[in-house]
Amino acid sequence: MDPFSAEGVAILGSVQPWGKTHPAKAHQLLNIHNAFHQGQYQAVIDFDTSSLSPENALAARVLQLRAQIALGHAEDVLADIEGEDDEADLAAVKVVAQYAAGDHAGAVSAAQQLAASSADNATVQVLAGTVLQAAGKTDEALALLAKHQGSLEAVALTVQIHLQQNRTDLAVKEVTAAKRWAQDSLLVNLAESWVGLRVGGDKYQQSFYIFEELAQAPSSSAVKSLVGQAVAELHLGRLPEAEAALQQAIEREPDNAEVIANTVVLSAILGKSVEEPLSSLQSAAPEHPLLQDIQEKSELFDKAAAKYTPKVSS
Amino acid sequence: MQSSPNMLIKFESKSSRAKGIAFHPKRPWILVSLHSSTIQLWDYRMGTLIDRFDEHDGPVRGIDFHKTQPLFVSGGDDYKIKVWSYQTRRCIFTLNGHLDYVRTVFFHHELPWILSASDDQTIRIWNWQNRSLICTMTGHNHYAMCAQFHPKEDLVVSASMDQSVRVWDISGLRKKHSAPSSLTFEDQMTRANANQADMFGNTDAVVKFVLEGHDRGVNWVSFHPTLPLIVSAGDDRLVKLWRMSDTKAWEVDTCRGHFQNASACLFHPHQDLILSVGEDKTIRVWDLNKRTSVQSFKRENDRFWVIAAHPEINLFAAGHDNGVMVFKLERERPASAVYQNQLFYITKEKHVRSYDFQKNIESPPMLSLKRLGSPWIPPRSLSYNPAERAILVTSSADGGVYELMNLPRDASGAVEPTDTKRGQGSSAVFVARNRFAVFNQAIQQIDIKDLSNSTTKTIKPPTGTTDIYFGGTGCLFLITPTSVVLYDIQQKKHLAELAIHGVKYVVWSNDGLHAALLSKHDVTIVNKKLEQVSTLHETIRIKSATWDDTGVLLYSTLNHIKYSLINGDTGIVRTLDQTVYLVKVKARSVYCLDRAAKPKILTIDPTEYRFKLALIKRNYPEMLQIIKTSSLVGQSIISYLQKKGYPEIALQFVQDPQTRFELAIECGNLDVAVEMAKELDRPKLWLRLGSEALAHGNHQVVEMAYQRLRNFDKLSFLYLSTGDQEKLARMAKIAEHRGDFSSRFQNALYMGDAQSRIEMFKEIDLYPLAYVTAKSHGLTEECESILEACGLTEDQITLPSLGSTLSPPQPIIPTFKSNWPVKATSDSSLEKALLGEMEALADEAEPVSNGVNVEAVLEADGGAAQNGHLIDDEEDDAAGWDMGEDIHPEVEGDFVNVESEDAGAGSSEADIWARNSPIAADHVAAGSFETAMQLLNRQVAAVNFAPLKPRFLEIYEASKTYLPASAGLPPLVNYVRRTVEESELRKILPIIPKDLESIASKDLQEGYAAMRGNKLDDGLKIFKRIVQSLMVNAVSSEQEVEDAKKIIATAAEYIVAMSIELSRRAIGTDFSKLDDEEKKRNLELSAYFTIPKLEVAHRQLALVSAMNLAFKSRNLSSALSFASRIIANGGSPKFVEQARKTKAACERNPQDAIDIEFDQFADFDICAASFTPIYGGSPSTTCPFDGSKYHAEYKGTVCTVCEVAEIGTPASGLRLFASGV
Repeated sequence: MDPFSAEGVAILGSVQPWGKTHPAKAHQLLNIHNAFHQGQYQAVIDFDTSSLSPENALAARVLQLRAQIALGHAEDVLADIEGEDDEADLAAVKVVAQYAAGDHAGAVSAAQQLAASSADNATVQVLAGTVLQAAGKTDEALALLAKHQGSLEAVALTVQIHLQQNRTDLAVKEVTAAKRWAQDSLLVNLAESWVGLRVGGDKYQQSFYIFEELAQAPSSSAVKSLVGQAVAELHLGRLPEAEAALQQAIEREPDNAEVIANTVVLSAILGKSVEEPLSSLQSAAPEHPLLQDIQEKSELFDKAAAKYTPKVSS
Repeated sequence: MQSSPNMLIKFESKSSRAKGIAFHPKRPWILVSLHSSTIQLWDYRMGTLIDRFDEHDGPVRGIDFHKTQPLFVSGGDDYKIKVWSYQTRRCIFTLNGHLDYVRTVFFHHELPWILSASDDQTIRIWNWQNRSLICTMTGHNHYAMCAQFHPKEDLVVSASMDQSVRVWDISGLRKKHSAPSSLTFEDQMTRANANQADMFGNTDAVVKFVLEGHDRGVNWVSFHPTLPLIVSAGDDRLVKLWRMSDTKAWEVDTCRGHFQNASACLFHPHQDLILSVGEDKTIRVWDLNKRTSVQSFKRENDRFWVIAAHPEINLFAAGHDNGVMVFKLERERPASAVYQNQLFYITKEKHVRSYDFQKNIESPPMLSLKRLGSPWIPPRSLSYNPAERAILVTSSADGGVYELMNLPRDASGAVEPTDTKRGQGSSAVFVARNRFAVFNQAIQQIDIKDLSNSTTKTIKPPTGTTDIYFGGTGCLFLITPTSVVLYDIQQKKHLAELAIHGVKYVVWSNDGLHAALLSKHDVTIVNKKLEQVSTLHETIRIKSATWDDTGVLLYSTLNHIKYSLINGDTGIVRTLDQTVYLVKVKARSVYCLDRAAKPKILTIDPTEYRFKLALIKRNYPEMLQIIKTSSLVGQSIISYLQKKGYPEIALQFVQDPQTRFELAIECGNLDVAVEMAKELDRPKLWLRLGSEALAHGNHQVVEMAYQRLRNFDKLSFLYLSTGDQEKLARMAKIAEHRGDFSSRFQNALYMGDAQSRIEMFKEIDLYPLAYVTAKSHGLTEECESILEACGLTEDQITLPSLGSTLSPPQPIIPTFKSNWPVKATSDSSLEKALLGEMEALADEAEPVSNGVNVEAVLEADGGAAQNGHLIDDEEDDAAGWDMGEDIHPEVEGDFVNVESEDAGAGSSEADIWARNSPIAADHVAAGSFETAMQLLNRQVAAVNFAPLKPRFLEIYEASKTYLPASAGLPPLVNYVRRTVEESELRKILPIIPKDLESIASKDLQEGYAAMRGNKLDDGLKIFKRIVQSLMVNAVSSEQEVEDAKKIIATAAEYIVAMSIELSRRAIGTDFSKLDDEEKKRNLELSAYFTIPKLEVAHRQLALVSAMNLAFKSRNLSSALSFASRIIANGGSPKFVEQARKTKAACERNPQDAIDIEFDQFADFDICAASFTPIYGGSPSTTCPFDGSKYHAEYKGTVCTVCEVAEIGTPASGLRLFASGV
């Protein structure tokens, strides 16, 4: 199973990994699918889907809608699929859009309903799982995702959830298992690199290779991959290189929150002032976990420091 | 048996049938004797015919170069042997004697002998020095076809149409000819009867063995260069191998394969191979040990007649019906790949080895590739995959094969690789971490394979593709004979195509932005989008190339290493005496592999290309550096600069005034031009300078030029146009002196001075003109006097109608006073850089002179000297870092490692950090601020944490990264470690920004600079930041702990010192406005300022300040003591001198006007809070962190130095390093 190969169907999450569909069909979706997961959202939206078979057309549409959401156009998506949510796939998209648009409670309950009604649908698994996890319902998300039938997206998501749970051991298991039947698909590679950055040591370099490969190849280069490359360099202690990669990224997307957040981290490591990147992060993504975290820690500091009573001499 | 693709033809000539060939042992020359009676001398490297020699009558069959002398010998069907000099290009002499065709001629390797074989059935030895026949060997009873000396022993082997091969012993001949001059009777007898058997039946040359086995005539025979072997070729189509011992010789085996007469044969000089040629139009290569055919090469129409081997290098030549060909049996380019600091390469023994560029070490063999391809074909290419530590090797054997294998972790000898994946393909390269591309030329297909060797994708390349190369991440370069295509593997499409012929190799730059495409004679540099950047052409072959880290391409040709900049500028770096394949350039070293696949380092001088590169990048500081440090001054670089349009830079190099002048004119630098023109003082130069300056509008220079040229007319006109009346008048005077009337007239005209014109006309008797002038200017009196003088009246004159008076326009602005706004002299950036540097120096110097209130007593230039000294002192101090061992504090074993195996969330790495480390900084990074504070409280009695807040947050901010993962979920958080290599959870620790090294090299120096610059407020902040940064930090060794403590102590001293001085200034420095108490306190503080242990140079500043202040306040006793201390400290002569003077002045009356609390003789510390002395014995307390001293009453308050710790509270000591972790 492989993204380069015509049989790379498993990654599409629609068929059992060992089953074979018509190769051409799968291949049609390969590029758009990869583009989505490499973070080339605009490319996904611009993708010409006119020649796709009906079955693939839906999958492509789902990807395009998700790309729209990722670009922050959740409202447009909601409008777009208005009245079409009989289709489980689109219903799942709607859940994500709802969540992204701020209707968390509604999204979560809809996700729970979907999880109950169409748990076999791969799109539902992934999208409802995403919403559940985002809402902190990790166990439900994992339970839903566990139902997947060879969906690499579900695997990748599961890996990410494990990592967020700090269960590196489970994440490693998941990736190892997936590699057995889908070695070298883009998503498995990505998931492996996420795990690698957590495990560290030799794995840093391996993760770096994966991100670098994506970031530097003209067809797959995206800011997301560049950030990944920069993060890997940063963990490897190659600070000038990390700086260069972030610089490249910031030139392409000056408002990308992850780029700025990691710039903050890099500046801090370099012993530079973080004020400037922090304020640009503040304006680009006021909700970013980094900001929340710093705010929280700043308060924590004051609270902890207050326990001591210094006597200042006059 | 295959027609081998490995026979590499290096040169071919077209001529009539070639019967004899000889290689020059050193030069790339080959002699070819032709059936048409001509002898040709070719340079096979350049492919040119150097000379031809036509003196033989009829076919020339034998030919040989002398090993050392500029001679060659030939033998032909005219029965003649001719000895030639290729220097004079003439036949020196002819040896006559043979009675039939001469078949072969050979020089002896050391004796002055020539061996010839002839159809007259004899083999003869000639002495070419005395030009005589010295031996005739008879015995063959048919044509002697070939005879050769043994390369070492006194043996000759001959082949004949009589079907035999004979080995002759010629030791007798050598004895005779090397015998002393005094000849015995017997000797004389023998000499007289040369060629005759002596009385015992011996001759000079005796047949030792007769080898019979061929059943037709034998055409050729050769000795093995080292083994006792002989090979012969005959009309029975066989090549026979013979072995001999001291006493006998026998046939070993026969190589069967030629299907026509075998014409010639020889042993490979270095390998266990036999080469033979025949009239069946083939060249055949045989395995010497197995006598099996290794490869064969067939020509369509040409029968082969002769083959020769180069004595040293791996080259052969074969002569056929239509000329000769020079060829190699195999590629000599060692397969290799470079990754970072390692070179991987395959040796001649087919072992994979690596070489470390930094350590200059060759590894032992790592793998043996004995089984790859066929034994006689070396691997063609090597591709390395660092991610998997795998190599991909190709061989051209069997139509192309590749093998993929992993390198062992440690090189433990030439082991056979395990788990090898192999397949068919002419090229194979890694294209990604887990992908490689295999190109099969026969079926024109590229397979993309994964590491398990299964095909994941198939690509149809453009027809005629010959090779593939890595084309940047995810891409391939497809090479066709006429173009290169950049192909994206994933998208399966052509990204770009560039029409270049015959590309053979692709070399990527280290930064992956450019690639050099090498073809036989061209190098094309392209960017990663395959857009041509530059191209260059060489007349001889380009062998290899590699990129310098700065983006300069170095390439090797057959005999040079050259460079090419991205813009196409090239030049020679050095010459080569043997062909090498470049693999890497680092500074002055070029690393290469030679043909024996041995890594070699060649030294080069990169100055020239570095300079040119700096020029292109306009990196002036670098250029300046190069100019200063190297002897890069020569006509070539100057003309290069001039040609490239940088005359102003060239100007900086040149000393020669003439050239300087030219350059100055070119770049419009008139100042320099004037200077040079003055120096040279040649009219021509002044002329050019004048016109150039005029163009600039720089009339002062023009004036000077005209003056020098004594060009009065132009000068006058210049003054007119600049409105310089005064000088114009002077010009008129000069004209008068010179008696130059027309000049006088002109000047008068310019000045509008009618009177002097009239005078002049009168002087030269031109009264009519004088009159007209006077008349037209209305000077009636003058008119009358003229008329009078001429004896005429007004009526007698008829005047033309007079126009209005002509007067020159007056300049509105007195331009002459200053130059017109001229074009700014093109101040070269280089000069600016020079100036910039000077300024930088000045900057350095300045702060000292205004340092610490040293007031006007110090003269400005004292600063520079002082500065120099400061630097010295600092260096001294740094060297004195190494302090004694300190007590190792015990590890606080207060953490437990809990492995959480239960379900649900695990503990984050941050928690693990906190568990792993007893260091406060690590807890901060983990976000566990409470425990960090507890630790600090315990270790250094920290109580006031507010000042540490920025430091805490700084460390925390640096602790984790944000990796975007699945869409819709928050980024994945990963923790940044300082233990990058470690993945064992118990040992990982967080990164702590602002490590000891950066504090020591940056912050501390900033602090010193603030001290020097008298920026005490800034300095105080910097030093406080230093102590606080070090309080929450982590280091990597016990030694560094000591260093850190030293820095904390130093910073504490500076904080105290600066605080004292700042509080003194807060009182007010204008003494006239201070009351007595304030004066006293001011003086005391200035005295205390000298107490903290500052760097000596800095303490001198404090002392000078205190001394001056005391001196002015008539506190002469104190001033005296400060002066003495300054003198004792030494250093800056300015300070010392000043101190001496003060001392002398004070010694007259060493009394203090104001009594201050400062005992110059006692040893005391300064309380950091009250700035009062703590004399020995009086109760005191210290800060547990930085060690600053306080009066006992301050116990329990916050330290004023670090602002964090509680004074006098017992603490366990700061932990910065945990050895157990």
